Amino acid sequence: MGQYYKIIIADYKQRTRSYAFLITLAVGLYFAYICIPPHGANYSTVRMGSYTGVQNAAWIGYVTAMMTSVFLALIGPYLINSCIKKDTDTGVGAIVATTRISNFQYLLTKAMGSFLVLLSIVGCVFLMAVALVCIRSGTYPFQLVQFLLPYLLITIPTVFFVSALSVTAEVFLYRYVILMNIGFFFFFGVVTSLQQNIAPPLDIYGVKPVTLAMEQTVLHQAPKANAQPSIGFIFGAKKANKSFVFEGIQWTVAEVLGRVMWMGVGLILIFVSSLFFHRFDIKQRFKARKKPKFSVVASQTKPLQDIKLSALPPITADYSVCPFIKTELLMLFRKGPRWLWLINLGGMAALIFAPITIAHQIILPVLWFLQVARWSDLATKEKTNRIHYFTYASYKPLTRLLPAQVMAGIILALALATPLMLRYAAVLQFIQVLSIIAGSVFIVLFAVAIGTLSGGKKLFEILFFLFTYLNIERAPFADYFGGINNGTNYLALIAGLSMLLALASFMIRKIEIQRV
Amino acid sequence: MELSIQNISKRYNKEKYGLKDYSLTIKNGILGLLGPNGAGKSTMMKMVATISRPTQGTITLDGHDILQEPDYIRKMLGYLPQDFGVYANLNAYEFLEYIAAMKGVGGPNLKHRIEALLEGVNLIEAAKLPIGTYSGGMKQRIGIAQALLNDPKVLIFDEPTVGLDPEERMRFRNLISDLAQNCIIILSSHIVSDIETIADEVAIMQSGTLITKGTQTDVVKQVEGKVFEILLDSAALPDFKAKYLVVNTSRQQAKTLVRYISGNPANGSAVAAASLEDAYLYLTHNKN
Repeated sequence: MGQYYKIIIADYKQRTRSYAFLITLAVGLYFAYICIPPHGANYSTVRMGSYTGVQNAAWIGYVTAMMTSVFLALIGPYLINSCIKKDTDTGVGAIVATTRISNFQYLLTKAMGSFLVLLSIVGCVFLMAVALVCIRSGTYPFQLVQFLLPYLLITIPTVFFVSALSVTAEVFLYRYVILMNIGFFFFFGVVTSLQQNIAPPLDIYGVKPVTLAMEQTVLHQAPKANAQPSIGFIFGAKKANKSFVFEGIQWTVAEVLGRVMWMGVGLILIFVSSLFFHRFDIKQRFKARKKPKFSVVASQTKPLQDIKLSALPPITADYSVCPFIKTELLMLFRKGPRWLWLINLGGMAALIFAPITIAHQIILPVLWFLQVARWSDLATKEKTNRIHYFTYASYKPLTRLLPAQVMAGIILALALATPLMLRYAAVLQFIQVLSIIAGSVFIVLFAVAIGTLSGGKKLFEILFFLFTYLNIERAPFADYFGGINNGTNYLALIAGLSMLLALASFMIRKIEIQRV
Repeated sequence: MELSIQNISKRYNKEKYGLKDYSLTIKNGILGLLGPNGAGKSTMMKMVATISRPTQGTITLDGHDILQEPDYIRKMLGYLPQDFGVYANLNAYEFLEYIAAMKGVGGPNLKHRIEALLEGVNLIEAAKLPIGTYSGGMKQRIGIAQALLNDPKVLIFDEPTVGLDPEERMRFRNLISDLAQNCIIILSSHIVSDIETIADEVAIMQSGTLITKGTQTDVVKQVEGKVFEILLDSAALPDFKAKYLVVNTSRQQAKTLVRYISGNPANGSAVAAASLEDAYLYLTHNKN
């Protein structure tokens, strides 16, 4: 048992020793803070119609636990995915494959490592919740059990299930990261949309028993009130101006078993995955399979020939960025399985035929979000692929390569948004066209800046998901592409932010180039 | 051409140095760098390749300070790092086109030059396959091809023969011997015989400092008359090893032929001809 503990801890350490993880923990603290809206805030998180709970320990505990459960289910997979891929890429997997550890044990340790990563975020949320209780609960008594229970029965089973699901997805979709990201997005999207009518034990998030109890509490206080529950950041809606006292719930055995069941489902998923796990015997599935003539063995029988540098065709200086853009676009296009472009084409078709407001406010951000894997490593792939020794030693890397990467990313964004821009142009709404162009520049520069700052792609993936979620929820401050906000002032703001992001990216890259 | 490295240091913290007060002048020809792991060979090469900055000191190429004007050397630089990667979903041709763009070279002949290089490194048949399908040796050959794309005048090869089979190593040595006539070539290797065969000059490094530099003859001279061979019973070997610097042992029927270095040889020893490997082991051992 001790050896598995050591494996899990080692896995946890290597995944958390990064600035990106520290930033994630800071975001976790901030998230917990905004889960409990202060007085006068123009948004709500958990509410029953126009009712919201007084900020006692039970309310703060349950709300933060429920919100964390839902949000870690939504963004958690992006935080913890690629744990097996990392072992493949680093070659550690080949060593693991030769040891006595079974597939199930290996996958379980990976899931537990992921679970600990998510648990660290839950820990931050919990600490902030404690602080909020101290600051805001006033004269209400501190109910320790009702403060702790939601974390134990709501959040922890959810994050365990998410960890197991993430490992399972990686076993079956290890070559299709994009598909995995899209799969998580839609899976939890469907789960969220089913929340209203689902039976409490089947609720993955574990919030249903709580919202039912809250609803009953409100109805007990005001029998004719509209106590329709809602969870999530809801902006600009009519304020919840009435309050009720929520003192927690008495969990029934069936409800507790329902939560344990999801942890069991997680274990079953890991077990089933272990039957199909490749154990790092990964076949090359590139074209080589279709063209067996080009076998590695055949090439190895022919060594280097004599090369005379002076006899090679002469070349001339060419400092243009066009070849870079071409190759960057090629790599963006080839990322992920090609049939996924059918989804992009479907999204572009929807931009043509859907009502223009929905096309702009919902379809465009979702379509752009589907490119998350393409943009997330736009400016970090040199390091992850160990190409940076070439790029940083190349001619003017700062003023040639980085702009080319940004331009390739923008071209992709604009190409996807073209149908919508044409529609706006056809009705002479050029300010909207400009907003979309500004949005595409912003999101690509955001990807580059966050990537160069964090040194990886996960932080951008999470933030981009949050942006997309907030845009679907119509949060005005997250609208980077003019879906809600209009006007030249807003355009100027986005352009200004883009310039700051560009400046930050260039500064960070300049430092990177000198610090290999 | 003259590359001059003057008093460069790379300091990581108060006590840890990657390089310490390192000076070297290199003219056209091949400089072989030898040293144990952590000696600072790669650090020094990265500095010349402008991807790492020294904490102090200067590096000039024909009088141009490359720390101030890195693009001066980058235009004529061919660099093969020790541990480089590739974009797995590009093929060899596309990858070399990309590297050519980085190096700022192009023109109508670029396509032919890439093809000629791919033929030279014998990857022309696999040129349209994703590099992700290549073996380690094939990737190393792509690395060699990219280093030669831009008519380099300064070539830096960090452990270039890793992954190459013996015949490929021989071909590679021929290749850089040919290039050395008009270029500065800095070559590091753990395989002393690679350096021994082709280097005009040898620099031996340890713990971030330069122990010695000179022609092979100069370096080997330092150990001439100190290399001996003796036949021993196998049982006596551990005690012998504790007393002398043993550089090689080989079984000869019931006994062991021991090659060692010492200023005070054991009875029954015969003087042997010194080699670069002997000098390397002697100098790095003495420093310890």
